[in-house]
Amino acid sequence: MNLPARQVGQWIERRLSAPATAGVSGPRPLSIAILVALIGCAGIVPLVTSAYFLQLATDLLTFAALAYSWNVISGCTGYLSFGQVSFFGIGAYATAALVMHTAVPWYVDAVIGAAIGGVSAALLGTIMLRLRGIMFALGMLGLARILMVVFSNWDFIGGAAGLTLPAQLTPVAVYLAMWVAALAAFGLNYFLLRSQWGLSVIGVRDEEVAAAAIGVPTSWAKTVAFIMSALAPAAVGGLVAWNRSFIDPPSAFDPTLDLQVIVFALFGGIGTLWGPALGTVILVIVGEQFWAYLPELQLALYGVLVIAVVLAFPGGIVGVANRFGWLRRRPVAAPAVFPIVSRPPHPAPPGSDTIIEVRDLTVRFGGLVALNNISLAVRRGEMVSIIGANGAGKTTLFNAITGFVKPSEGGVFYLGKSVSDIPSHRRAHQGIARTFQIPRLMESLTVWENTLLAARHGRRKDTAVEQAAWALHTVKLDNLWLEPPGKLSPGQQRRLEMARALALEPTVILLDEVMAGMTRDEQGEIREVLRHFRDLGVAAVAGVEHIIAAIADISDRMIVLDRGKKIAEGVPEAVLRDPVVIESYLGKVS
Amino acid sequence: MIVLQLVVNGVLLGGTYILLAQGLNLVFGVMGIVNLAHGSIITFVGVFTYWLVTQTNLNPLLLMPLVFVVALVIGGVLQRLLLEPLAKLGSRRELLSLMVTFGLSYVIVEMAINLFGSQYVSLPNLQETWTFAGLAINEALVVAGVLGAVISGCLHVWLHHTASGKALLATSQNATGAVTCGIDVRRMRGISFAIGSALAAIAGVLLILILPLSAPTADTLTILAFVIVALGGLGDYKGAVYAGLLLGLVQSGVGYYLGGDVEVIVPYLLLIGFMVLRPQGLGQAAR
Repeated sequence: MNLPARQVGQWIERRLSAPATAGVSGPRPLSIAILVALIGCAGIVPLVTSAYFLQLATDLLTFAALAYSWNVISGCTGYLSFGQVSFFGIGAYATAALVMHTAVPWYVDAVIGAAIGGVSAALLGTIMLRLRGIMFALGMLGLARILMVVFSNWDFIGGAAGLTLPAQLTPVAVYLAMWVAALAAFGLNYFLLRSQWGLSVIGVRDEEVAAAAIGVPTSWAKTVAFIMSALAPAAVGGLVAWNRSFIDPPSAFDPTLDLQVIVFALFGGIGTLWGPALGTVILVIVGEQFWAYLPELQLALYGVLVIAVVLAFPGGIVGVANRFGWLRRRPVAAPAVFPIVSRPPHPAPPGSDTIIEVRDLTVRFGGLVALNNISLAVRRGEMVSIIGANGAGKTTLFNAITGFVKPSEGGVFYLGKSVSDIPSHRRAHQGIARTFQIPRLMESLTVWENTLLAARHGRRKDTAVEQAAWALHTVKLDNLWLEPPGKLSPGQQRRLEMARALALEPTVILLDEVMAGMTRDEQGEIREVLRHFRDLGVAAVAGVEHIIAAIADISDRMIVLDRGKKIAEGVPEAVLRDPVVIESYLGKVS
Repeated sequence: MIVLQLVVNGVLLGGTYILLAQGLNLVFGVMGIVNLAHGSIITFVGVFTYWLVTQTNLNPLLLMPLVFVVALVIGGVLQRLLLEPLAKLGSRRELLSLMVTFGLSYVIVEMAINLFGSQYVSLPNLQETWTFAGLAINEALVVAGVLGAVISGCLHVWLHHTASGKALLATSQNATGAVTCGIDVRRMRGISFAIGSALAAIAGVLLILILPLSAPTADTLTILAFVIVALGGLGDYKGAVYAGLLLGLVQSGVGYYLGGDVEVIVPYLLLIGFMVLRPQGLGQAAR
């Protein structure tokens, strides 16, 4: 058996890399078996060698569990947190309290500690997840401080003096428990990055508003991710407390723990499946040698490392590997070849009943009246264009219908029922789809996954795949299905937004600025898709600023908005000849 | 009487807070990033001032011009080396800039700890208390409050009445528009970070005269400054004045009635509470 090193290298490369041109998916039993065997061997080594290795391996697993948990909320979901140590502390104290006051076995304590961490994340999430960006990042940092003060003043768990635990776990028990925590945290990352459900949180990260518009329950997705990110830190906190048999507020809520975790995840690659593990393994092992000589410079060097990684390779190790085609993320649920669309399109329900009705709608932003007492109705299968100059209120109208803006007065009715109290993502489920003025596509997902995310709601996995394929086929993007949206032309990006909308199986699609910035060819392609809507029984409401010629002949009706007011409505020929409309567009002829 | 005393203390404390926040605010306004190393510059300069003054017996207030110039230069260099390369990264810029300043804050804090130690220090230069109509007025707070007002005033004059200041203000309001007016936006980003750092350095010299500081408290100051900036409406430097005063008043009242522990977490509670209820800040509410 002769296997030269180069051949082995090529073999590993083939195993690890996913060709960018084909959507190979599904488990690869051989690689997984090898990985499990490797991890198993590595796991046994510390148990049979020295106590030093056992401690090193335990540290490594502890940080891997924390880094993967941080990656869930900050990497996959895009909510940068500087305070995940809050859950470490909560778990540490919860476990400590259980140890002091109950007599259940230690592993039960650890599980309950994790559960308490998860519950506190669910509760804290209702407040914290309303914050975005830097507000969330610093809010979490503040949360850790608040908890530190609260626990310092809570005498039941020892107050500022801390709590000494009566017993200590054996190093082997801690080591094995850390394995469970680290693998569980890895499993959660695997779930978010490889499953159809996981697309929701990535959608939230890339374009939260668009995610809601294509039916993703964004608050729910964020809360679930937040809870997931709290489980392992809470369990780890409990185990560390028990391992040290002492806990006090400064060590339970130590902000430098977050620094280390962030350094590890950043070094390996934020938001990637293998980044946190690679970063942790390399930095813990290298650091172990290094800090022995320069203990006082550890944090400063971590700081330098963060800066250097961001400036030199912001994608971390995985980002560098990606350039060589290694460790690429594989598209979720993408069959090997584009699925052949065999099923007929949804039967168009007959009739011409009113599907959307807007009654006396007024929207004010402070003193500005964006929409002034607008009423309109859209019937099934109808093509209505809403024309108006910049600032006429088209986008606000669409936002009000889809639930992104709250009406000041009046209401929106869908199939005869008021939708005022229904959140955006549920309006999308019910059949109100939309596109955006500037396409809002999930940049880190492929064309395929963008569409699949919209197709997921209420479908089994295989029918969702079918639906996504049908939608992409309808807008003629089949050949680009595995490209990232950034590589599409503006016209193709618009069509992808339409595919996402179609994948929802809507009764009406609101198209904001459907023709803006398109070349003549692209306009033609979009007109073709719009005509197709009619065959599907899907009503279309298209907002148009000035490319009116390209839309007038395919519109059944035209509505003209001017500075928030409806100034004309009717068949295109009549509306375009209306002196009021001409004056609104061209100014008064004196 | 107690209430009046608390109000006076609160207003003076608020002046200190304004001083603390304006540098961060300027950087956010122009660069659109939160400088997480802001507090570490303050504490570094603070403990450095303590060290220098105890070594040489200099008057700390004389140090201010020197510290201002040095921080200006270092800030400008750091911006060019560490943050400017990220300016063209688009959507990932915010996250990566935060990471860089987060790393920078640890570098500066650890430098301060290794050079000057991590204990709390304070200079006793301005420890007198004047009594005026039954009110006890702390000299240090008066100096800081007045300087906070003076520096905000200078900032106002600079931003509204000089060509360079107007260019900076224009950049903060609309960077693309500023480019079309021939403003070198890249230079403006450098200037804002340089001046932001210099303002932080001055705040460091003053704070060491007022409060005990230690190098590891840096991120507390960063958060305090951020809370003020956020409450005032990010980048709105007039809003920051109101927010500084509000925080000073709330903290002085809470400290008296509810105790020091609660006083310490007031900024965090205000941050989370206000951001949930009024994400647009105080300044917007006033308009």
